[in-house]
Amino acid sequence: MTATETFRWTKLGKSLFFLAVGLIFVTPLIWMLSTSLKYESQVFETPFVFVHWDNINWSNYEYLLTESPFLTWLGNSLLVTVVSVIFRLLFAAVSGYAFGYLRFPGSGVVFAIYLMTLFVPYQLYLLPQFVAYRLLGILDTHWALILPNIVDVLSVFFLRQFYMTFPRDFVHAAYLEGCGVFKSFFRIVLPLSYTPLLTLGILSFFMIWDQYYQPLIFLKSSELFTLPLGLHSFQTQYGHEYAKQMALACLAIIPVLTVFLILQKRFVESLISTGIKG
Amino acid sequence: MYNRIIRKTRYRSLEASERMAGIVFAIPSLIGFLLFIAGPILFVFAMSVIRINLMDNSFTYVGFRYFQNLIEDGDFRKAFWNTFTYLVIYVPLTLLLGLGMALILNAKLYFRGIIRTFFIIPYVTTYIATLVVWNVFLHPTQGPVNQLLMSWGLNPPQYMIDIHWALPVLAVIGSWKDVGFHCLLFLAALQGVPRDLHEAASIDGASPLRRFWHVTFPLISPTSFFLLLITIIGGLQAFYQMALLTKGGPSFSTTTLTYLIYRTAFEYNNFTYASAVGVVLFAITVVLVAVNWIGQKKWVFYQ
Repeated sequence: MTATETFRWTKLGKSLFFLAVGLIFVTPLIWMLSTSLKYESQVFETPFVFVHWDNINWSNYEYLLTESPFLTWLGNSLLVTVVSVIFRLLFAAVSGYAFGYLRFPGSGVVFAIYLMTLFVPYQLYLLPQFVAYRLLGILDTHWALILPNIVDVLSVFFLRQFYMTFPRDFVHAAYLEGCGVFKSFFRIVLPLSYTPLLTLGILSFFMIWDQYYQPLIFLKSSELFTLPLGLHSFQTQYGHEYAKQMALACLAIIPVLTVFLILQKRFVESLISTGIKG
Repeated sequence: MYNRIIRKTRYRSLEASERMAGIVFAIPSLIGFLLFIAGPILFVFAMSVIRINLMDNSFTYVGFRYFQNLIEDGDFRKAFWNTFTYLVIYVPLTLLLGLGMALILNAKLYFRGIIRTFFIIPYVTTYIATLVVWNVFLHPTQGPVNQLLMSWGLNPPQYMIDIHWALPVLAVIGSWKDVGFHCLLFLAALQGVPRDLHEAASIDGASPLRRFWHVTFPLISPTSFFLLLITIIGGLQAFYQMALLTKGGPSFSTTTLTYLIYRTAFEYNNFTYASAVGVVLFAITVVLVAVNWIGQKKWVFYQ
């Protein structure tokens, strides 16, 4: 064996080792997938069988898709997440433009105050919000979930950073064409912000999809539940039907995992580029 | 010459009109911030000194009595130490694991894309769904982990129903879920370390460990500091595991401050107590951030 060959073999050995480490890391999720295709009696079987190829049990999924409120919960999750993300992006873009590009007098101070609130635990400002929504009568509606999601300081910060370096020539060219500040923002700036908006959109999608505390305290009616809360109530109700729980967990993960796998490259890059600023 | 003057005045007026428009653009932002962030924060301070009766929406001023009571309150003290214990496990574990995983992904390996995907999958999957899985996966008698350990003749712990194990297990699960984020940010920082610095140190005879400590670490210290803050703040806010897996038990062993807030506010309707605990949690966050902010001078290296 030559030196390069030995090198290659050690590299392969190391690679396989860390591949195994990665696999061990996601074992609970692999086990979830395997269990979701079993009968309840097989959940804790010994010896463990990964998949009973000759007798795969699809009935858990069938049950969830036809007889459980899964599809309602999925719809609610999609509705709340998509509407929240759209409004959050619009809000963050307009605010980010004001603080990053237009920079009115005092904008630096105001923004510093914004940033300071990042240290406040979110549980803290949900308490008064609960009291306020009760008074307004929007508890137990999707509005209670969507409204607080729109205003997000981190998103404003992210777009402010982008607009701080936005080329002024583009905007000035629009002014020369007779556009005002508003027209140039919506016609020129916003379309050119496609990349950071998409990045922020993906990150926000993941975060809002995952939210559990807000629906837990704001919602009571099970027909309004989003997936995380639905999962919790399902777990309480079907305490010992583990295969069904695993199938539901699988179904809840599939939408986000699909988004992630499709956009993985962009997602990773965006996380990396947002993180560097720290 | 004439042209230039026109352009200058035009630009000056442009800047003025941009500033004016800036205020208009900032209005929705300011309103939203006041209504959903600043307002609630101020209101929560008020709520901690005013008792709200949710039945008839009446308010009574109670002063700082609730804060004084907290000091002697057994539940609060226990929750305080639980939060502290959680942090002590969660913060170092997440940071070290994240750094280790980033170092793996930064090495010359095959299948790097697949390994990376495995490492970040928990971070992008629905948290509650993974907790539903962990609940069965760590089932004390029948779960696959303990079945395996028992088949090796070991006497495995009872995890979520054991008062000594429950909180550490929740902290480890929290790390498992969040570490993908840390891994990616550390990876970004590592990729920014110039290779020639490493080679130079290598030629000077520095061992890999020394190279990491004296070359790599100073260069990734700003990222490490940022992640340290994020991890502390995130750790103080941990809630999902307690809510889904243990409900604060067994016998209060996993009731952290956030869970205490939830329970007193939304199960016992005691918003004054919950707000007082919330204010204390906020104060703890500020203190920890401030301490680290001052401490960063000792180890964070800005280029």
